[in-house]
Parts: sequence; C-alpha cells; structure tokens
Amino acid sequence: MNRRDDICGALRRMLPDGCVVDSTESMKAFDSDGLSAYRQVPLAVVLPETVEQIAAVMKYCHEQGVKVVPRGAGTSLSGGALPLADAVLLGLGKFNRILEVDYANRCVVAQPGVTNLAITHAVQADGFYYAPDPSSQIACSVGGNVAENSGGVHCLKYGLTTNNLLGVEIVTIEGEILRFGGKHLDSGDYDLLGVMTGSEGLLGVVSEVTLRILQKPATARALLVGFEDTGDAGKAVGDVIAAGIIPAGMEMMDGLAINAAEDFANAGYPREAAALLIIELDGPEVEVDALIERVEAIVRKAGATSVRVSQSEEERNLFWAGRKSAFPAVGRISPDYLCMDGTIPRRRLPDMMRRMNSLSQQYGLRVANVFHAGDGNLHPLILFDANQPGELERAEEFGADILRSCVEMGGVLTGEHGVGVEKRDLMNIQFTEDDLKQQQRLKCAFDPGHLLNPGKVFPHLHRCAELGRLHVHKGKLPHPDLPRF
Amino acid sequence: MTDIVISDLQQAQDAIQDAVAAKSRLELRAGGTKRHLGRAASYDAVLDVSAFSGIIDYQPEELVLTLRAGTPMEIVEAALAEARQILAFEPPRLSRILGEGAPGASGTIGGVIAANLSGPRRLTAGAARDYLLGFEAVSGRGELFKSGGKVMKNVTGYDLSKLMCGSFGTLGVMDEITLKTLPAPETARSLLVGHDSLIDAVSGIASIFATAHEPGAAAILPQTVAAEEGVDLGMPFTAVIRLEGIEASVADRLGHLLALSGGEPLDADRSAALWQRIRDIQPLAERPHDIWKVSCAPSDAPRVMAALDPGLDVRMIADWAGGLLWIAGTSPHIGTALRAAIAGLGSGFAMLIRDVGATRESIAPFQPLSGPVLELHKRVKASFDPLGVLNYERMHEGM
Repeated sequence: MNRRDDICGALRRMLPDGCVVDSTESMKAFDSDGLSAYRQVPLAVVLPETVEQIAAVMKYCHEQGVKVVPRGAGTSLSGGALPLADAVLLGLGKFNRILEVDYANRCVVAQPGVTNLAITHAVQADGFYYAPDPSSQIACSVGGNVAENSGGVHCLKYGLTTNNLLGVEIVTIEGEILRFGGKHLDSGDYDLLGVMTGSEGLLGVVSEVTLRILQKPATARALLVGFEDTGDAGKAVGDVIAAGIIPAGMEMMDGLAINAAEDFANAGYPREAAALLIIELDGPEVEVDALIERVEAIVRKAGATSVRVSQSEEERNLFWAGRKSAFPAVGRISPDYLCMDGTIPRRRLPDMMRRMNSLSQQYGLRVANVFHAGDGNLHPLILFDANQPGELERAEEFGADILRSCVEMGGVLTGEHGVGVEKRDLMNIQFTEDDLKQQQRLKCAFDPGHLLNPGKVFPHLHRCAELGRLHVHKGKLPHPDLPRF
Repeated sequence: MTDIVISDLQQAQDAIQDAVAAKSRLELRAGGTKRHLGRAASYDAVLDVSAFSGIIDYQPEELVLTLRAGTPMEIVEAALAEARQILAFEPPRLSRILGEGAPGASGTIGGVIAANLSGPRRLTAGAARDYLLGFEAVSGRGELFKSGGKVMKNVTGYDLSKLMCGSFGTLGVMDEITLKTLPAPETARSLLVGHDSLIDAVSGIASIFATAHEPGAAAILPQTVAAEEGVDLGMPFTAVIRLEGIEASVADRLGHLLALSGGEPLDADRSAALWQRIRDIQPLAERPHDIWKVSCAPSDAPRVMAALDPGLDVRMIADWAGGLLWIAGTSPHIGTALRAAIAGLGSGFAMLIRDVGATRESIAPFQPLSGPVLELHKRVKASFDPLGVLNYERMHEGM
C-alpha cells in the first residue's frame, strides 16, 4: 500500500459512506475554482457532515503531516480553493443548513456551506436581508465569504463580510473547535474573528457563522449618468461623497463595458458615453427622493452628458441589468477574459485610465473596465484568446502591470477577490519582507506546520522556527551585559 | 525609572531592540488617559509616544484620514468637524470616568484604537475595529511592519488592523494609521419610550429595529437615571432611540415611530447632550463606584441583570439595544455574579472598566479566556512580541 491509500483508508474509517471521494474521475469536479485557468486533482476529497468529523479529519492530517485545502462553493476568483496534488481537499458542501434565525438579536446562525443569497432568502419575508452581495451570491458560500472577506456592490455603505460577521466557530489544524465572537458585539480579547475573516483558509476551517442581518431599506432608486470623460465621472463620485451623501452603490463602466453590456442587456445605456455611473440611493422614501435631487444637481454640475432617474422598481432593475451582466457580456465579445481586482485612491482614477490605455496598446490586448467607484475598487477585464499561443501569458503580464500600478498609486493588490495563487507572487510589491514575515508569524501561531492551504497568499514560505528567531539589527549594544533601564 | 521619549518608529525600533537585548519590559504611553483600563502592565520603563502627533493626510471626499497614533482626539475631532465628517464608531471619552490624564483630557486616537472603544453608534455603524484601514508599527521584536492600506476596500494579506484594535499595546507600537471617515449626519433627534421592565424595553427596541425607519442607536435608562437626566416618563425604564440623517428624513421617521410606539420626541439639542452623556458613561461617573462593561446578545440583557442580587445595589445604563451594559456599584461580588451569568449564557464578556478600591487585585479585569483560546492568544502575542517587551500582562496573566 502506498501513502495515498493509507490516507484514504484512514479517512474512510473516520467518515460515513460517501464522504470520501478518491477516484480521479470523480475528483475532476473539484479540480478548479473560479480561477479556471488553474487545475489540479487533489490527493483525496473529503465531504464531512458534522463539525466533529471535520475535527477528526484535521486531527488526523495534523498528526500525519498531511496538507489540507478547505473549499466552500469553489467560486474563488483568485484560486483560493485550488487543490494540491498532495493535499486533502476538505469540502464544506454538506454544511448547508441555516441553524437559527434570531430576529430579537438581528442575526442568523448558519453552517458554512449555505449560499450567500440563501441567508437573505431565509429572512426576506420578514423584511430583513444580509448586506454583503458578491456577484457570485447565488453560488458562493458564507464560509467562503468569511475566508475571502467578500464584498459586493453595496460595501461603500454596508461594509464587507468583516463588518457584517458577528461570530464564527472554527476548527484548527490541530482539530480543536473554537469560537470567536457570537451574538454579542464586542469581545474584550484579541480580535481573532477579524483575523480569520479574509485569511483565505490559511488559519482555520470555518464550521459555523453568525451573520448580522439588516432591515431592508424602505425604498431604493438609481440614477444612470453618462459622461464624455472618465475624469468628470470620477470627480462626480468625489463630489457626491463630499456633499455628505453615501449612496448604497456607485458603479462605473467605461466605453467598451458600456457597449458590451448594452448589446447584451438592452438597458438603455448611452453608447456614446466614455463613462457611465450607476448611483443607487436607498432608505426611507422621503430621504431617497431628496437625495436623488441633490445627486442629480451634483452630477450635472460635474459635467454629466446624460442623466436618467429610475421612476419605478422595473427601471431601477433595468439600470442594474447591464452592470450585472457585464462579465458575461464581455465574454461575448472575446473568447476569454481575465478579471482583475485592485483598489486605488479614487482621485487617481484618471491616471489609472491613462495607464491602462497605454498598457492596452503595449500588450495589444483590449481592456474593459467595471469599477466599484465609491470605494476605488477596479475590475479591469482583459480580453484575450487562450487559443492564440502566448495570449494568456500576455494577459497575465498585463494584469500584473495593472496591479503594480495600483500599488504605485497608493492602492492595493486586491480589493475583494483575495490573493490566492493568482496574486501571490506580487505580494512583495505591496509588502516588505518584514511585513510578510510578520504575517507569516501569525500563520505560525495557528498552523506551525504550514499544513492549511499552503501555497496560497505568500510568495515564499519560511519555516516557523526560522521566523521565530529574534534578530537584534543594531548588533552591538554598547554594554550588552548591563541593565539598560 | 526614566521615561524613554521617542519621536518616530526608528527610535521605537532602537528602544525596543535595546529592551529585547536587556530583556526588559516597556509600557506604552501617549495621553495616559486609559492606563487604568485592564491590568497594570508589568514594566521597567515607559515608552512615551506622545510625540507621535499630527494629521498626515486627510481626503474627506475619499473618506480617508491618515494620522499619527498619538494625535489627541480633540485635534482629530476638530479636523473632522471642519469637513463635516465623523468617526462613525463614535469614540467615547473615558478620561471623564477614569479620571486619568489632565482634567478633561481627550486621550489620543491610538488609545481609542488600542482599546477598541466605540460609542452608541457601534450598534449600527460598527466598532473602532471596523474603521482602521491600515497602520505602520514596530513589533515587540523591534521590527518595522505595516498592514492594510489607505483605501477602503482591501483584502490583501491578513487583516492585522483588526488585531491591533483592542490589543492594548501588547503587539506593537503604532505610528501612522489610516481611518475610514464618514459624513456627519445633518441632524439627529431621539424618541423616548417608557417600559415596565427591562425585558419589555429590549423587545420594544427590537420591534423598532424590525421597521424600515432606520434607528441608529438605542439605549435604556432605569427610572432613577432617566430622572437625573431629565427624561423621566414615569415608567421603570426609558428607551432612548436615536434617528440620524437629513432633516426631512428624521422628521418623517420620528413621526412614524412616535405613532407606532406612543413615545415622546426629544429635540436635537437635548438629544445630542443626552447621547454624549450616555457615550461617556457620565450617568454612572460621579459616584464612587466600580464600573463594569458587559457585552452580550441584546436579548440576554435581562438575564444578566437578573443574575445580580438586588442586595448588590447596582446602577446601570444599557446601550446597543441592550447588548452593552454599564453596571456600577461598590460590592466586590458584582464581577463574580456577572462572570457567572456570562458563563451560564455561553457567550459575551464582562470587563472591569473602573475600580475605586482594589477590585482588580481580586478579579481579572478582562473576561478570562478558555484554555485553548488562551493558548492561541499567547501564541499570537508571541508571534509579535516573543519576550513580552510591550505592555506585558496588560490583558491577561502570562502574556
């Protein structure tokens, strides 16, 4: 028997029938996530049904030194759930139950495999919803949302997952079941709940979440605003916020994205515009009506060439239909595209657009832009054809240059998609060696053997013993033997 | 014992590396207004970071404020006021109850972050930890490191900003920090609703939060406190609900909620004054009482209060819809009873905020951690500060 057979046998003994998948053919369903350019069949797939079973798998893997890759719905856009040939893929798909809806404390307790949208579905009849709304919300799981700190189009006003998560239960690599947070708001210790959020499956496996739910706003209306110049559009976004207004969402699209979306969705977008803003306001009706007027005046002053205000829920949904179909729409005008995700300080938008245009010429590839304008989060879509030799590599290089530019302009490598394997090798653009070492030391506190989701996030792995060593850079102290104080 | 006064992170590195070499311990101090929060740190010298002061970059239309951690809160608040913005987590001024620092001292933004202090709007807008976007610091290893960034949406690497909030200076010495700001509400008014019991008050507030009228803060005052604050409705408990926004919206929502709850309105000036006193725990400040902070699920508040023997003679105010209880009294048994209540509930925490005698010598100020969680905390502490140079034992024994 080889080691793989040993491992699969042991996993079968600790899990019910059907919870271990180890034939190459069946494992193909798990060989990739939302970053589908990368594929790898894992050592084995386990699909446990209880937290005790997760703990048993983790304990076994820890004792045997077997790597573990956790996976929710497998929708990561950065390869966060990409399997490894020598790792057990731990799928949370069977954890699909909502455990408690608690209106008195305005929260929902759910298993990690429940989809994001299912949380809202469970509470919407009573007027509540769950605010973070990543575009994959039909499919993505709330456990994965915690791992990636997922956002969506409404984070400017309602925050990311981290701002809407009250508590988690996790299983550590040692098989300990721990709870951070709960239905209470503050806890007096280190914010390990905050650290778990966005840790990309490297610190622990989320086995339960407690999410804050909100009362659905009484009404929502949107403006569709065209500009001849992306700089004017960027300025309009800043002017709205400077006027003290925080819209529920402020989305921008450039000319290529506008036309692709219009071809696809017939939303009535102004095809001649260089930039389009969708500005949505939500809240009490009198407030929304008053603010819509203020926003309309602001965008006109900023140079808007067309302004439409939604007069009905159908019209508002139509405004969004184009934006929400932007990715498939771009998919129609190009055989393949890469979706990038960086953030810049919003005032640098015109510089960024110029930079992207010149990169587009340099690489000979088109780029369409959709942009969470309110919070500076860019989603350039780089168009390419994977069947043309070298185009994927060129598109990836183009993407890396865009992300480098984000950092140069004072921004960051990823706003909501995560580092995963995709941006791992760019981490040292944003961080110094000491920055990364400190992050890895935190990893060592949770997982000293580097067994959980290895190969993600960090470009170089250092052994924990090496990271733990103290170096006194100053070297020679004047009188090292004397007390200093 | 001499204070080590430093003016930048380079000097912080020198001082910490000296301490590492000498195996000595440092207490971090800027405004010094929160020294009596938590345990007394064990230290050989004070690392004075009060010179880390000043605003570095403030872009109101980007909602981003970058400043040095030792900047006094009054400077921060003045800059924000000029741009008609706020820190939405509504940081309280605890110097008024702690009696630390110069009289009326505002404390520093670094202190607010280190203690993760948030006020009434925390219920709907989040805590200090939700507004720290990034920072630069020197760890207890004497290494300079940064995390996060200067933009609002960022998931690059671990979110160490969360960890720094509420770490009471035990992980690193912060200098440059970046915060998310928000526009100040144009106006705020409140609604007062009388209730027969704490249970009724908590569920009355829950029913208001189940409407689309967007309450932003909700406190509960027992009748004695309500009377002292001039908002007595002749009922055992008064719920105070705050509505913020543009004038037309606040007026409209207040009208709806008055019709729904049968309460009374409180005008903008009185509302602002009352909420500031609730934020700063002023109703409990004057008497020589220990003050405990309890954070629990809002619906558990009545059970926590019921766990306190009536003979203990406590005063309390509740905030965060019941999820935050400030409990004051002189009995040394308050803390034991609260800790037992929380153990029974299985979640929440009770922290001793002020003691007038020597209560903290007989009971841990921070909620004790369970074995494996404490072990993890020690490993996290060691990953930043293996020798325990920074604010050693400020939070828990042995770390």
